[in-house]
Amino acid sequence: MFFIVGIGLGGVKDITVKGLEVVKSADEVYLENYTSILSVGKESLEEYYGRELKLADREFVEQGCEEMLEKGRNSDVVLLVVGDPFSATTHTDLVLRAKKAGVDTQVIHNASILNAVGCCGLQLYSFGETVSIPFWMDGWSPDSFYDKICHNKERGLHTLCLLDIKVKEPTPESLTKKKKDYLPPLFMSVSDAAEQLMEIVKKRSIETDQQLPVDGETNCVGLARVGSETQQIIYCSLNEMKHKNLGEPLHSLVIIGDLHPLEEEFLALYL
Amino acid sequence: MMDKKRNIRNMSVIAHVDHGKSTLTDSLVSKAGIIASAKAGETRFTDTRKDEQERCITIKSTAISMYFEVEDKDLVFITNPDQREKGEKGFLINLIDSPGHVDFSSEVTAALRVTDGALVVVDCVSGVCVQTETVLRQAIAERIKPVLFMNKMDRALLELQLDPEDLYQTFQRIVENVNVIIATYSDDSGPMGEVRVDPSKGSVGFGSGLHGWAFTLKQFAEMYAEKFKIDVVKLMNRLWGENFFNAKTKKWAKQKEEDNKRSFVMYILDPIYKIFDSIMNFKKEEAANLLQKLGIELKPEDRDKDGKQLLKVVMRTWLPAGEALLQMIAIHLPSPVVAQKYRMEMLYEGPHDDEAAIGIKNCDPNAPLMMYISKMVPTSDKGRFYAFGRVFSGKVSTGMKARIMGPNFVPGKKEDLYEKAIQRTILMMGRYVEAIEDVPSGNICGLVGVDQFLVKTGTITTYKDAHNMRVMKFSVSPVVRVAVEPKNPADLPKLVEGLKRLAKSDPMVQCIIEESGEHIIAGAGELHLEICLKDLEEDHACIPLKKSDPVVSYRETVSAESDQMCLSKSPNKHNRLFMKACPMPDGLAEDIDAGDVNPRDDFKVRARYLAEKYEYDVSEARKIWSFGPDGTGPNLLIDCTKGVQYLNEIKDSVVAGFQWATKEGVLSEENMRGVRFNIYDVTLHSDAIHRGGGQIIPTTRRCLYACILTSSPRLMEPVYLCEIQCPEVAVGGIYGVLNRRRGHVFEEMQVAGTPMFVVKAYLPVNESFGFTADLRSNTGGQAFPQCVFDHWQVLPGDPMEPSSKPYAIVQDTRKRKGLKDGLPDLTQYLDKL
Repeated sequence: MFFIVGIGLGGVKDITVKGLEVVKSADEVYLENYTSILSVGKESLEEYYGRELKLADREFVEQGCEEMLEKGRNSDVVLLVVGDPFSATTHTDLVLRAKKAGVDTQVIHNASILNAVGCCGLQLYSFGETVSIPFWMDGWSPDSFYDKICHNKERGLHTLCLLDIKVKEPTPESLTKKKKDYLPPLFMSVSDAAEQLMEIVKKRSIETDQQLPVDGETNCVGLARVGSETQQIIYCSLNEMKHKNLGEPLHSLVIIGDLHPLEEEFLALYL
Repeated sequence: MMDKKRNIRNMSVIAHVDHGKSTLTDSLVSKAGIIASAKAGETRFTDTRKDEQERCITIKSTAISMYFEVEDKDLVFITNPDQREKGEKGFLINLIDSPGHVDFSSEVTAALRVTDGALVVVDCVSGVCVQTETVLRQAIAERIKPVLFMNKMDRALLELQLDPEDLYQTFQRIVENVNVIIATYSDDSGPMGEVRVDPSKGSVGFGSGLHGWAFTLKQFAEMYAEKFKIDVVKLMNRLWGENFFNAKTKKWAKQKEEDNKRSFVMYILDPIYKIFDSIMNFKKEEAANLLQKLGIELKPEDRDKDGKQLLKVVMRTWLPAGEALLQMIAIHLPSPVVAQKYRMEMLYEGPHDDEAAIGIKNCDPNAPLMMYISKMVPTSDKGRFYAFGRVFSGKVSTGMKARIMGPNFVPGKKEDLYEKAIQRTILMMGRYVEAIEDVPSGNICGLVGVDQFLVKTGTITTYKDAHNMRVMKFSVSPVVRVAVEPKNPADLPKLVEGLKRLAKSDPMVQCIIEESGEHIIAGAGELHLEICLKDLEEDHACIPLKKSDPVVSYRETVSAESDQMCLSKSPNKHNRLFMKACPMPDGLAEDIDAGDVNPRDDFKVRARYLAEKYEYDVSEARKIWSFGPDGTGPNLLIDCTKGVQYLNEIKDSVVAGFQWATKEGVLSEENMRGVRFNIYDVTLHSDAIHRGGGQIIPTTRRCLYACILTSSPRLMEPVYLCEIQCPEVAVGGIYGVLNRRRGHVFEEMQVAGTPMFVVKAYLPVNESFGFTADLRSNTGGQAFPQCVFDHWQVLPGDPMEPSSKPYAIVQDTRKRKGLKDGLPDLTQYLDKL
């Protein structure tokens, strides 16, 4: 059996009881560490679970997973995923591949930023499409996510922005080489995200005379380390967000749509 | 002197190998008083390297600045006010002597870029040869004005014993040949005005560099002008072409009649023949008579000489080569002021109305500095180089701060850009250099202290918004390569350092480090590589080297359209690319090589051109995403999709993958050539983070590889155009050698007026190693080949077929590069829906 187990957001103890049982009895356990990270390291997880974990990076999951699935045919193999297995998109493909290979699969759910974001007081019902904000690189500065945010905003919906993390990403130069060099780990903070957004706003306002739906005055919520003990939430305008420092990763950003009075009241706590 | 820009002439001497450029240059150098006139013709002053002197062949182009005064009576001939400063007799001539051997023609390209005029030297015995044509074509393309010099008249008279009328016909034919080439690549209505050379205008010289004498019709016209009481210019017209004079009736005629004689023969060749005859046949009295008649006075120490020695002295005194050349240069070659007006649009990449462009156009020393560095010249200080180039606008001075822009610089970005002080400016004087305070526009000079910021070439400017000067287009490409390694592995760092220096010192050579760690040197031909390796071993790295046998670069191409739509999925499986490959129509790859179709063109103009010439669909041709490899190569990536959202956000990643794949093809990681890739459809993840470069670049490469493997891949090999001169008896031997080496002859003709034959053939570069030696031994040393890279040709056979020749080549190449044996597996690249 091949298990995909969500281990939640906060710390070592966020894993579900069912999940823990599977981990303890499994033959082999991998920890996926590239779509998200925990604020605690692999060692503390190993200590709590009382067993050894193998790290699975992007290349392993995307290109070398056959071996892992094959093992799942006759023994119990577990892939631990921070948050919930299906909030990080790549894992749908893994389940598909397991199905195709005829390997039985079981998924154990957990909390994800997609639902935990409710902690800031915004109702999950009024969120629109989720977007990711990638780090801009020389020559690659996509801005289509801004259109999606505007689209949500025009319909009065909030937008959850997941911020880029780079763990063991090849450098742009080595992408076209066979031997890969890797970038040092890099995590986008809310201030980085606000800055990139403002740059898009600046560019767009030159191109059009109309009032942009989202600009520096638009309010937003910055969240850091949701679910952990050091969780931090801030509510302010995008312009102000550029100068906020929320400390350690991971960060997320919500662009506010229309507010219900109750939401307003709640957000006031984070002013 | 350098400020008098109208009295400057920047010129290069170009010709086929062994037509006597360096020897002729000596005459000018001696006229400037730098070497003794008696030594001129033997010194080869501009051949500064030991191996150049030993082999009697120029390898590196060498610059020299000379000062001359032109007499008042000759100044009248300069009519254009931009061609001379009022009241100034002195002229500054910056001359670059360039190599004639094809393997070094990149040196010629570099020389042409910084000059405005060219002295084209042709051996009047062998006539216009393949390299004459190549360099002349390059000169015209760079908008360089040519003048012609017929060299080695002494051979025509002494060895071939041509009679005067035949010699005239030979001259006439050469002039025609040269003008045909000129007319092919430019016309008189072009921006340069009339480019043709014409003896009656004085833009064609005749003589012997070795003996140090030369003349143009002007010299003779002046001699006779007084006697005939005719204006010099009119007389010059009479002295060439179908003009005949009857000595009895004293009448001119337009055709040959009973008693008359061609004027050129009568007035010019006859006296020369008489001198030759009397001196070489030891008719002392007759000779003394002639000398008196011609007003030639010999120095006492020369009077006792006889035979060839005396002949030299007499001819040199009567018709000094330096004088004739100087007049040709001063009168017929353009000054920077004249030349830069029409050259600016060729030279400058930026808008033609910005400050830099206007500065270049007007050759304005007060405009912002624009200087092009065309090559690096090694200094006596090991490992350091003078950056050699031409100031087109403004002034470059010692200590000034300037922007140094390499060829990859893009305005507005910081790549390949340095702001540094120029340590010193210097003048190049053949074997010596001279420091100088500053150099104004229109001059050629060297800079100290910028060599570490440029690899080979670049632009130096003080204008913040300046674009680059256009990079040079070489007529040859580095198709032959060797791998080198130090004999002692501990010397590796020295080798790496040496390779860097080698890359700097030669405009063409490529030094590549393969991913397998092999160090590769790629050059234009065997001789070029031999010289490069020698330099590397003796001067740059100073360590003993191990060298592999030379190997040829191949190109990978396709011969049909992909037999299926190729799909590749990104690693996360959320992005899918659908593409196909197909061969380009014949001629398009060559058009791209020549720059007739290039990425900087306006896309609409380019699309119209492609539609008209190659029947491309206009709307598709407008959506060419990229040329590759290196952004300019002969492969195209075309967007044929319809309405795909976010496509522009992955464009850069797809282009990067395309560049990668075209640089390292799927068969053996050689460059691709002549392949058009169409993107038909793209499915993308809706979120930008899941379609970044990490997902798209490798996927594009896999997809392109799948396209190639499904469209009947082929290998292409480089082919030389080979011109061989030999006597008739040796022709048979040539055919034998060529046949054995897969060569094929496409032209064979006799050089008119001589017993020599010229055979032209195509010869695969791969078969050319040792060709020269083989040819010599099979023809008793009578045949001399000149090989120029000409084109790429598909190697017959399917490289996927294990018994074929291309398969063997692919395997060899893969082995050398440390790749897996066998053939690439399609399933690795092609995904299923």
